[in-house]
Amino acid sequence: METNFSVSLENGVAKMTLAGRIDATNAPALQDEVKKLVGQTVNKIVFFVKDLEYIASAGLRVIVFAKQKLGVAAQVYLIGAQESVLNVVKMSGLDNFMTIQDKFEE
Amino acid sequence: MEHKTFVAKMENLELMINFILVHARKQGFDEKMLGQIHLVAEEALVNVVNYGYPGKTGDIEIACGPAEDKQGILIEIVDSGIPFNPLEKPEPDINLPLEERGIGGLGIFMIKKIMDKVTYKRENDKNFLSLVKYVGSTK
Repeated sequence: METNFSVSLENGVAKMTLAGRIDATNAPALQDEVKKLVGQTVNKIVFFVKDLEYIASAGLRVIVFAKQKLGVAAQVYLIGAQESVLNVVKMSGLDNFMTIQDKFEE
Repeated sequence: MEHKTFVAKMENLELMINFILVHARKQGFDEKMLGQIHLVAEEALVNVVNYGYPGKTGDIEIACGPAEDKQGILIEIVDSGIPFNPLEKPEPDINLPLEERGIGGLGIFMIKKIMDKVTYKRENDKNFLSLVKYVGSTK
């Protein structure tokens, strides 16, 4: 399956770039990548999603998982979300607990 | 109504969703609504794939057709798995911060938010989930 996400950690900032579709078929693989960062110091969790067209609840659960497992004190960012993605995020109420920006500004 | 039966496995998810989207397109939904119907289809189907047939394989029968009363789509998802009424599940508290969220219930919550009618029945040892969305409804 084509990979449409990447995960990295730099200076306490966990960067997750998501593209295309994050659904029940590939969310578990994304979650496995997030899991690899558990135990490291994470102050910010930043989702770069400008090329993400579709996210299902399986993908939203990875966002929740990241916050719960990487750092409950970490600030979560959602950067460059398209309307379709933003609508799903808002429907689930996650928008109230994330910093939503067009471009990442710390 | 057009019917098609699929083996309930994740590899078939896209095929099943496409079957529904082809019919949704015929009913005249715009791209934005097709995206929402895509989401609903995934959430409903994934529930059956993940939980419907614990420890064995089974089928999902999908039926699609025009809604009866107004322009729109009727989607029926039928499985012979364990009895499961998604409408009985408690709704997730979407006001909870991320660190206090549970992991379940969000898919069904979104189905109810998007669709105009969601009904469930258990009959002949089968689960019937029936979903209706009207064209132009901005619920």
